[in-house]
Amino acid sequence: MLTRIYEQVKPILNSFLAGLIGLAVGAIIMAIWGYAPFGAYDALFTAIFGSFYGFSSTLARATPLILTGLTFAIGVRGGIFNIGAEGQVFMGALAAISVSLLSLPSGIHVLVAIIAGAMAGAIWSLPPSFLKITRGVHEVISTIMLNWVALYFGMYAVVEWLGDPQRAEKSISAATTSRLPIMVSGTSLTYALFVSLAFSLLIFFLLWRTTLGFELRVVGQNPAAANYAGIKENYSINSTFILGGLAAGVAGALQIIGHPPTYALYSDLSTVRNLGFDGIGVALIGRNHPIGVIFAAVFFAGLNVGARTMQITAGVPLEMVRIIQGVIIIALAAPELIELSNQLLPAVRNWINEVKAS
Amino acid sequence: MPKTDTAEGKDTGRTLLRAEGISKGFPGVWEHLILNEIDFDVKEGEVHTLLGENGAGKTVLANILSGFYGSTAGKIYIQGEEVELNSPQDGLEHGVGMIHQEVMLAKPFTVAENVTLGTDDSDFSYPLDKVESRVYRLSQKYGLEVDPTVRVGDLSAGEQQRAEILKVLYHEPQVLILDEPTSLLTPQEAQQLFKVLRGMADEGFGIVFITHKMEEVMEVSDRVTVLKLGKVMGETDIEETDEEELTEMMLDEKIPIHLERKEFKKQSTSLSVEDIYVTGPRGNTQLNGVSLDLHEGEILGVAGVSGNGQSELIEAITGLREIDEGSLIIEGEDMTNASPREIQEKGVAHMPEKRREIGVVEPMTVGENMVLRDYRDSPFSWHSVLNRSAITNHAEEIIEEFDVIAPDIWKSETRILSGGNIQRMILGRESWRDPEIIIASHPTHGLDRRAVSHTWELFIDLRDSGSAILLVSEDLDEVISLSDRIAVMFEGNVVGIVDSDEADKSELGMIMTGA
Repeated sequence: MLTRIYEQVKPILNSFLAGLIGLAVGAIIMAIWGYAPFGAYDALFTAIFGSFYGFSSTLARATPLILTGLTFAIGVRGGIFNIGAEGQVFMGALAAISVSLLSLPSGIHVLVAIIAGAMAGAIWSLPPSFLKITRGVHEVISTIMLNWVALYFGMYAVVEWLGDPQRAEKSISAATTSRLPIMVSGTSLTYALFVSLAFSLLIFFLLWRTTLGFELRVVGQNPAAANYAGIKENYSINSTFILGGLAAGVAGALQIIGHPPTYALYSDLSTVRNLGFDGIGVALIGRNHPIGVIFAAVFFAGLNVGARTMQITAGVPLEMVRIIQGVIIIALAAPELIELSNQLLPAVRNWINEVKAS
Repeated sequence: MPKTDTAEGKDTGRTLLRAEGISKGFPGVWEHLILNEIDFDVKEGEVHTLLGENGAGKTVLANILSGFYGSTAGKIYIQGEEVELNSPQDGLEHGVGMIHQEVMLAKPFTVAENVTLGTDDSDFSYPLDKVESRVYRLSQKYGLEVDPTVRVGDLSAGEQQRAEILKVLYHEPQVLILDEPTSLLTPQEAQQLFKVLRGMADEGFGIVFITHKMEEVMEVSDRVTVLKLGKVMGETDIEETDEEELTEMMLDEKIPIHLERKEFKKQSTSLSVEDIYVTGPRGNTQLNGVSLDLHEGEILGVAGVSGNGQSELIEAITGLREIDEGSLIIEGEDMTNASPREIQEKGVAHMPEKRREIGVVEPMTVGENMVLRDYRDSPFSWHSVLNRSAITNHAEEIIEEFDVIAPDIWKSETRILSGGNIQRMILGRESWRDPEIIIASHPTHGLDRRAVSHTWELFIDLRDSGSAILLVSEDLDEVISLSDRIAVMFEGNVVGIVDSDEADKSELGMIMTGA
């Protein structure tokens, strides 16, 4: 009985443990470089949980990360290594700005902006899907390349077509009718958070309660069994790409219509950059589960938000947080490392015996 | 049959390799031993054949003799000296080399590069000339023609095998073990191989040749040892025996009973396979114009030693493999190269041979696997939304009726189930609809006696109620007990169809082994 409970909570425990290892290794590195780790962590966590403002900022930062984490998580469930969220976020953001040129009543305008972002993300996921299905091109290659295409296309679009006539460094802002209301005044937390949460629940339902999700997971786990079960593998792969693209596209749209104070893109796309890549880490920590992704995104966002305070009050450089995040991901990969070393050990032992014998 | 220690055969010389009382059990897989106190030896200048059905333990014994596996008990003597073989390298050092059934070469590399692997004959600067010229000389000497500078991936199956033999010869072994070397070869290539083996025996090598094909035994051996279920059934000089005696030794002696059933009236044809050709991944023909008719209310058994096209036939019928030529008619409709789903929707159930690989999705739950092929249909889903309670009920029914041991329908991953439980689960899943056509591959493999008789009853019940069942099994008892008619497959073709109540086991065995 106990072992069964353990099996159930094992993924959660693993993630917690990895988090602790990350913080511990971070502390050691700080100590070696002469920073005070406890002061730094004190600053970090006070920034995240110590104030309503800090926690609101964390949630605001988590909002798009939940969605980009979902993109990667859905990919893993469906058997693809989709790292195209980055580019899909850019396209979603551009689409959301574009539709703010329309004049629509406020409620509908928000909906139109979100749908436009989702569609743009989904469309941007189609070329890798098409290439994989028809030509066998690996999605890692195609999505990475399209991320760059999207980045430069986005920069060009912000300057050439969507530029703010008054301020050259940014695009026009989302129309007031398409903006999501602010939840906590003085912070950038808007009702966009609920869009992300709802999307997570939707994906959860889709993956475990519908035939589409069933097919997607069978294909992801065992394509040969999927074929035996009469599941169309290509259709399922395409659905996986599109669902991931929808999530990332919505993330991009929310960064425009739900991200005060600018409600716009800068010409270097700085407000939406790295969201896609951070999503990979979020999905890993969240164990590729739609609910796990929510908590992982909050944790990841907290580290990002707290890092600034840590730099100011404890004098520890921002990059330390990146180190911690890296260690956490390595720690999560560690169980596989242990398995690998179990396989390698007998070989090493044989080798030692041989050396001894000769 | 007593073992003769005095060398009477014409070519036999001193004993190169002798194994005494070799036993092997794999932990937790089977309760019985895979090998049970095997004595075996090979002498200078002879071809000693190991004959036996699949699962008799031939390959395991070969792997122990060459150092791939350790043995649970027993001793190995090389040239009269006791040795301990812990790795294939140990085996080679003691002069024992094995050529495996599957080619074990790195395809992107040349023959010479593959030979170099595991030797010290080339250093970092990569001077392969030495190796290449030596491989070339060896290939000339033994008539194993293959260009050492060509990439292995570009070679034919026969050439790849010659390369594999050269790789072993490079280590100057005295004993050469070949595990079913002809299984991937064309008849001409096989003939060529036999000539090479005879020549090598004459040179003084001791050769262990593993096969289940009777004609090959008669053609190439000096001596033959028959294995059955991990035991030596007999050992004899080839001149003192004949095909019939060997077949009898190889198969079980107990007489199967043709199970009671309703009278079979040749009713309408449910499925017919017409002159089907299927080509394998290497361009070799795997099905060679197979034709079969399966009728309503009939169990058609397919007997044969595995690897003679049974798996390919099943995959062709269930849409998992492309049919090059010929046609597949199901319930009067041409379903040639239809998708697995289309064939399933024609009412064809499939109990696959590879249960863990394709029969279930191991990381998914028991409940999900219970509807792996039915999830699209009512009541398990409604407008694309899965109905968990309907699935739960269904799973509970199957678990109850088929004695599946599964801790929890929605929490247990299917991977934790034993092979027998997975098989019972698949039996339940594929039979609950009373399907019109059932394609079953080794349905009782790995089941205990009680589950076997339960499965047999189930099949007879389904047959009596009108299902058409195609039963592929290597277990001749099962085939004879269950079938109305028996088709025997050999080398990608149906070589004979007999009525089951007239079937004679040793006669079937002869047809199966191509004798």
